[in-house]
Amino acid sequence: MSGIAFPEQNHILDALPPAERERIFPHLKLVTLPLGSVLYEAGDALRHIYFPTDSIVSLLYVLENGSSAEICVVGNDGVIGVSLFMGGETTTSRAIVQSAGSAYRLSGRRLKQEFERQGETMHILLRYTQALITQMAQTAVCNRHHTVDQQLARWLLLSLDRLPDNKLTMTQELIADMLGVRREGVTDSAGKLQKLGVITYSRGTIRVLDRQRLEHLSCECYAVVKRETDRLLPARRADGLGPP
Amino acid sequence: MTARIAAAGLAPANQLLAGLRASDRRRLIAQCDPIELGFEEVLCEAGERIRYVYFPTTGFISLISAVDKSSNLEVGLVGSEGMLGSSLMLGVEIASLRALVQGAGSALRMDAARFVRELKRSPHLRERLNLYLFVLITQLTQMAACARYHLVEARLARWLLMTRDRAHSNEFRLTQEFLAYMLGVRRAGITRAASNLQKRRLIRYSRGSMHILDARGLEAVTCECYANAAQLYSRVLT
Repeated sequence: MSGIAFPEQNHILDALPPAERERIFPHLKLVTLPLGSVLYEAGDALRHIYFPTDSIVSLLYVLENGSSAEICVVGNDGVIGVSLFMGGETTTSRAIVQSAGSAYRLSGRRLKQEFERQGETMHILLRYTQALITQMAQTAVCNRHHTVDQQLARWLLLSLDRLPDNKLTMTQELIADMLGVRREGVTDSAGKLQKLGVITYSRGTIRVLDRQRLEHLSCECYAVVKRETDRLLPARRADGLGPP
Repeated sequence: MTARIAAAGLAPANQLLAGLRASDRRRLIAQCDPIELGFEEVLCEAGERIRYVYFPTTGFISLISAVDKSSNLEVGLVGSEGMLGSSLMLGVEIASLRALVQGAGSALRMDAARFVRELKRSPHLRERLNLYLFVLITQLTQMAACARYHLVEARLARWLLMTRDRAHSNEFRLTQEFLAYMLGVRRAGITRAASNLQKRRLIRYSRGSMHILDARGLEAVTCECYANAAQLYSRVLT
């Protein structure tokens, strides 16, 4: 939540051509997303989509017994609410804020109007959906086959890529919920990373000290997701930043 | 050309095609060729260019997420209710999952470029197929959560029921290796779960052939995921 927010901090909004920006940007509303808040529950009607700037939102699939599994993380690389443009009127997952910050919100109605034009906005959002599918499928197989240590490393890296600095404000409960493991499992894994000098963890703040080492400790799933996301999404504009 | 005309007669056997507006359906079917899918045939590897879309009629196809040769997970199953190649709807020509034929049988096959052309031509077609994409993505997330939390026995029962629905039969070919591969568990785990189901007379399994004796009984054993997926499909697409 540092500094002034502007729409171009979100890679999708940043990639829109001038005419689309002129149509969409006036309807964006900047909202603050506190840690742990729920944007929607499974079964809710989707009224808005969200473009995070410096926040991260996790989508969780929730089972009847209440246990949940993270299916993807969305930050400044993407958008929350893709069901909306596929025509699904309700959500099938829970969207929970995993790292506090801001996002731009657009009404579902506006989005649909934009989609009906079948222009660049639609194409960019559809390609992003494919990147999400890759992330979901990779997360599924990762959850099934890789150790909690590896998964935690993957998760930290994915989060880090979506944040402006190397600091993540998180509780261990929330991480345990995201990874679908018991809290003790997260404590053990985080303890190991700390001993190796890869991260420091105190009072809900994780700082990554050695990113390369963290990449080495993660399973290949991080690299697969990153490669796909980079391939499918437009490169950031040359200056890297929009107007201040 | 005669093959294509013959294909038209098969069309309603694919529910997705059957649910399209008549003009869209006719245009698609006219450009499809009927083909046979062979058991364990790989239609597309992850990372490969998508050359065709498939609308299964009696065959069915597993979508597999893989990290290496031994670590896999089935994250989707496509039969006569759906189609293979929906990434094209997202403007992506590269497959992200391996597509493996799990049930031999027939399908209608269409050239990818032609399919994309039809999508551009008809917003109504796109709209309808987007709904299927929504169902498929939800299935993917559901299967991920199921793989994470539910016991092998419940997952096996779900898998058998899903397969039965797509095979349109209580009997189908199956090896334990294949099951282990799909469910991402060790073979010993599959053997144990399958023999439990057999002892309760819900299934009979021998020499690569699976026979479902009591589908209701399997529904009682399986997790919520089976019913949820079926409900979602009918709510969204019928």
